[in-house]
Amino acid sequence: MKRIFMMMMVAALVAMMSLAASAGTISGKVAGVSGESVVYVEAAAGKTFPAPTQEPVIDQKGLVFQPHITVVQQGTTVQFLNSDSVAHNVFWPSVGGNKKLTHNLGTWPKGEKRPFKFDNPGAVPLLCNVHPEMSGYVVVSPTPYFARTDKSGEYKIENVPDGSYTVTAWHEGAKNQSKPVAVAGDTKADFTLSK
Amino acid sequence: MDTRHRVFQILAFVVTVIVLTGSGYAIPAFSRQYGTSCTTCHIDFPKLNDFGKAFKDAGFKFPKDDETFIKIPPVMLGSPAQKELWPHTVFPGTIPGIPQIGLRFNQFFQYTGSSANKYNAAPQGGLGSLQSPLIPNTDFEPGFFSIFMAGNFGSDIAFWVDDDLSVAGLNANGALGDGYLRFVNVGRFFKLPTDSFTVRVGQFELDLPFTQARSINISPYDIYSQANFGASNQNVNNVIELADAGHGIEFSGGHQYGGYHYSVAVVDQNTSGQTASAPNVASPTGGSFGGVGFFSDSNYKDIYLNFSYRFNLEQDPASRHDIQAAGATGPRDHTYLSLGAFYYEGRSDQRFSGLTSGGAAAVISAREPFYRVGGDFSFNYRTFNLFGLYMYGHDNDLLLNSTFTGFLPGAAATFNGGFLEADYLVLPWVMTIMRWDRVQSTADFLNQAGSANYFSPVGTTRNRYTPGVQFLIHPNIKASFEYQYRPQQTVFYNANGQAVNPFRTNTATGALEFVY
Repeated sequence: MKRIFMMMMVAALVAMMSLAASAGTISGKVAGVSGESVVYVEAAAGKTFPAPTQEPVIDQKGLVFQPHITVVQQGTTVQFLNSDSVAHNVFWPSVGGNKKLTHNLGTWPKGEKRPFKFDNPGAVPLLCNVHPEMSGYVVVSPTPYFARTDKSGEYKIENVPDGSYTVTAWHEGAKNQSKPVAVAGDTKADFTLSK
Repeated sequence: MDTRHRVFQILAFVVTVIVLTGSGYAIPAFSRQYGTSCTTCHIDFPKLNDFGKAFKDAGFKFPKDDETFIKIPPVMLGSPAQKELWPHTVFPGTIPGIPQIGLRFNQFFQYTGSSANKYNAAPQGGLGSLQSPLIPNTDFEPGFFSIFMAGNFGSDIAFWVDDDLSVAGLNANGALGDGYLRFVNVGRFFKLPTDSFTVRVGQFELDLPFTQARSINISPYDIYSQANFGASNQNVNNVIELADAGHGIEFSGGHQYGGYHYSVAVVDQNTSGQTASAPNVASPTGGSFGGVGFFSDSNYKDIYLNFSYRFNLEQDPASRHDIQAAGATGPRDHTYLSLGAFYYEGRSDQRFSGLTSGGAAAVISAREPFYRVGGDFSFNYRTFNLFGLYMYGHDNDLLLNSTFTGFLPGAAATFNGGFLEADYLVLPWVMTIMRWDRVQSTADFLNQAGSANYFSPVGTTRNRYTPGVQFLIHPNIKASFEYQYRPQQTVFYNANGQAVNPFRTNTATGALEFVY
């Protein structure tokens, strides 16, 4: 009898633990702006995430950064490709508004790539100093929990462990908006951004 | 409040506008077509950077893979497959997907030294006669409203047409600037090296070492505006100025951004400044076409030669030979030294009423050979550009003999001069300029006629110093300021030929210009 009780207690504990670790989703809408936005979960104390091994590529083609917006997890290495037969350079004046993190990747020939590891979170505006119309963004999320909105502003971040987080919405040219979100299963979080 | 305070307030206002204005992009013809900023090709427009020079060399297109950069596709004037049917079909080409039109307007504000009125210090006519109007200390002036069209028709055929629709607010003052077709790299048909042979036909500014028509300066280079009129004891009346547009054909090759560059132009000659419109022979623009008749005033064609070699000084060979140098922080103009020489020659044709050796009335012609020869250099380091040009002008003189049957050689009429200019781009939107112009002409001094800019030079040498600063409010909007410290001039000379109360009429000019 005592043995059965012990087994039931262990089963209940396991069930409770698995419930606490269950993953939910954060979904909602980013309003006030048109076009693609990015929503990501800010870092939570005590939680670290391994850097992804995949290295996304941002191309410079036809005097355009392609894609225009790239979202990566902090610690990701991005490959910058030059597919143009003219010289470019890639630089950014700040990372997440921090001008001390400005960096210039220099110039490299057509067909070659140059890597850069983004260790600091925040939006990185990509510029080219010889073609000032060129514009692109790398949005560095501190966590692997991020999503891009569709054209209507809807987004969904999946597999977010239940818990309390700060969630930030970013849109090109708009002010960031952050809000606390308690994730428990499917959770809603809407944003209204302004320029 | 004195005038200096007022001028200062105006300048302060303009600077404030500049500082408070946000970023933007120029959208003239090429900006629209390629979706790129003016600064892709220009440093402080219209001055070209190395990429802009390559773009121009290539016939107003990207030197490589042009089609991948065009945002507005061209309209095909026939399927590309039609090329295989030629000569049994019209060779297909393209026209730009949108009209390649750009417009420019500028306006000026000028402060003129009070000595400007000294030229009419002596009253004209009898007592009570109405005198010339006052030259104001300050003046607002509308400038040039110009239209320019340029692009490429495919098959490496480039075109350019620009016209001043109005000048100083008066439509009648406008005129065609350049208008030409340029057949780029036709040497490929003769298996010549790439870009070694290009042909341009039409009206164009000569391939001057430093352009006058597309200069960033408000005031023109004096030596480019120098005609050659001999002194009173000479028979030299040559109105040709180096800045004049040429009508003709030009062969050229090489690149402006490195290595050799040459051009040979054969252009109409008109040393009298007068055009003919004979009733018995209509020119293509004359007769029933309502044109103005011929342009040349002689059978001779002038020849203009220009050769330069530019040494790009980067150590890395790949960077040295590329269109732009690869700097640590991105592409930039090369560090270079360019050396060049140019030569222009013709024969000034002057027709006189004279006699044959038999005493019969006849028209006799003096054909006076003349030439202009000079050299130039340009040194560039990062955003600092120092360049200069020296030119010597020489016109043979033929004087009517005493029997009016022919001519005797006289002393040649000569002049020389040039300019030295330093441009320094302090910031991508702030250009500072220092310039020195010099013209030495004994005949001008003796004639007491300098040019449109001067009333009457005191000496045979005219020096002008012109500091300036320019601000790009946007890539397509510019505010320019220039101060001209002008040569001494005078109204009176004493019995010994010495100038009495010589003076300088210095001017400060501000310009606002935009292109779109």
